[in-house]
Amino acid sequence: MTEMIKLFVNGEEVEVESGKNLIDALEKVGIEIPHFCYHPALGADGNCRMCLVGIEDGRPPVVPACKTLAKEGMKVLLDADNIKKIQHDVMELEFINHPTDCPICDQAGECKLQDYYMKYEGTESRMWVPQVTKRKMQDFGGGVIHDQERCVACGRCVRFLRQITRTGELGLVNRGDDCRVEFFPGRPINNRYGLNVVDLCPVGALTSADFRFKQRAWFLKRAESICHGCSKGCNIMVDHNKEKYEDDIIYRLRPRQNEQVNGWFMCDEGRMTYKLENDNRLEECTLAGAVRPLADIFADAERRIERATKVLFLVSPSASLEQLAAVQALAEKTGATVSAFSDGYIVKDDGDDFLIKDDKAANRAGVDLLGIAKSRTHFDNMAKEADVFINFGNDLSRSLSEEQIGRLFSDTWVLNGATHPGQLGAVMEKKVGSSIALRSWSEYHGVVVNCDGIAQKFVGGVMKNVERPDIVEMAAGLGSPATGTAAAWALVQKKIPALAEFGGFLELPAEGVKLTDNEAGK
Amino acid sequence: MAAKVKQLPSRGGTPAEKVYLIEIFKGMAITLKHFLRNLWDNSNLYVRHYPEVQPDIPARWRGRHRLLTHPDGTPKCVACFMCQTNCPADCIMIKAGTRIDGVTEKMPVSFTIDLAECIYCGYCVEACPEDAIRMDTGIYAFTSSNREEMKIGMTEMLSLKGGFPEEEYQKGLEGE
Repeated sequence: MTEMIKLFVNGEEVEVESGKNLIDALEKVGIEIPHFCYHPALGADGNCRMCLVGIEDGRPPVVPACKTLAKEGMKVLLDADNIKKIQHDVMELEFINHPTDCPICDQAGECKLQDYYMKYEGTESRMWVPQVTKRKMQDFGGGVIHDQERCVACGRCVRFLRQITRTGELGLVNRGDDCRVEFFPGRPINNRYGLNVVDLCPVGALTSADFRFKQRAWFLKRAESICHGCSKGCNIMVDHNKEKYEDDIIYRLRPRQNEQVNGWFMCDEGRMTYKLENDNRLEECTLAGAVRPLADIFADAERRIERATKVLFLVSPSASLEQLAAVQALAEKTGATVSAFSDGYIVKDDGDDFLIKDDKAANRAGVDLLGIAKSRTHFDNMAKEADVFINFGNDLSRSLSEEQIGRLFSDTWVLNGATHPGQLGAVMEKKVGSSIALRSWSEYHGVVVNCDGIAQKFVGGVMKNVERPDIVEMAAGLGSPATGTAAAWALVQKKIPALAEFGGFLELPAEGVKLTDNEAGK
Repeated sequence: MAAKVKQLPSRGGTPAEKVYLIEIFKGMAITLKHFLRNLWDNSNLYVRHYPEVQPDIPARWRGRHRLLTHPDGTPKCVACFMCQTNCPADCIMIKAGTRIDGVTEKMPVSFTIDLAECIYCGYCVEACPEDAIRMDTGIYAFTSSNREEMKIGMTEMLSLKGGFPEEEYQKGLEGE
């Protein structure tokens, strides 16, 4: 528990956490101090002068809030006339050479300059000399596009690349109205976290080439999710929108703050995984090659499971705990074997010591917690014996070649539940008995456990035009006792006592639940 | 054409009028009188002989939309989506892309207005920061036999010309 201290803001007493600077401490209690250059992950720089606050009886009487620790009994003045004048004048300075091209700027709607203009300035420009023009649409590399005219020279991007990625591609050159951000000649941004500078930029100076002009920020609906690109489980915001007459598609993924997991950042590869959610998705459910309603496919598969001597279920290591539990319950009921064989999800030596992990499965720790076997020998032995094989969204083509898959299931009846075509290999997919198009992670809710044993909830906000079942519904259709996500969650809670205190998965705290090593089965 | 207004006194209080039947016959007599008169000469009718006679419309009339161009012929629109954001009927559909004619950075790749859904409120014109869309074509009639044809695209809207002289249009904006 952090120690609390009392201080005064505009004469009113507030209680804040100690050991923080004024911006962070007061933000926690809902008091905003405007700032450009300060970012909690990058530390105080103090160059923008926007966060200057008055300290009554203080020496000096005006201090930058980002560099001032909150102290007991401090008397902070935010609405004094001199502070308002400072904020107004700093804003006016920023706007002297600002091109005000909001109509074509992607940052419009989430821009600090726009917000602060409305709040702290709001006056007409007094400038009559021509504005300084600089380069626009400069390619910074790594999918980042820079507009020098919009830049407020806060240096967040420069500090990120120096302090966090330690690659230092960018620097601030020159002074005064000629100050600008540049990369060193011939060395553009080239690292796996480069796109974070787009989120860090408080204005529209750095924009993403991938998201450029796709959508205005205010049209986007937001869903708090977890990245399923690797086992780190970075907290993300899924920005999606359903345009008129079109499908609901994701336009970008942004990192969401979680100090326990990813801090404020995410990797570029993870950012681009949204494309998999939009493009090339399976849309139809088939039975013996013909498109049929789901109920027919379920009824047929259920009959086959009953008649079969050995049934093998293959689950995805990225499936949520609820989905894994639902498939497990189905296996217990029908006497089938469950495997989570997914060696191909692990990409050797791809990870680093920051966020990217070798293991590209989002919930391998959850698979272990629920005690699902995942070894190759177990899977091979079971596959040889099985006469019915049901795939629950596992991308087997990552682990085995087409010939290997074909050999394993040469005389097996296969039901393929998949999100994308090709997950069992193109050859095998032509031979499958049935196939079911499944929902992907941006379309369902659930809980996954990351590589550090932190159970995190995620919400799927995307509503596709094509109705697809998720794995819980697929398992329920095949006769699983867990008929819905709530029932599946109850099963999860029985197996993982640490989660038992949470009524529904939505009651999990936002920062996730850290399971102890014992609970996480390590 | 100014409308002709005729004030009639309120009636219906006397006993003869309360019998109704007398008044009905009186009314039918009036109808017959008008019928016989207009049979020979219909120049006094209170109707416009549309479409042979077209109405006069003022410069502020909100007719069909057009997209404006710079003097060099490039579209003024920068695809800022202000009109689409403001549209209460949700009838504007824009797709934005990188500009290729060198004017700014952004331009619409497609700009569609569904005239069947448009309520002609003029909010798109008010919202536009670039004066790129106006409803001053003076076209008020637009018919089609199917819904798809009611959608007009960018090329069509760019090719339309304003129906009024610029000074008259600007005068209409005064006071806004």
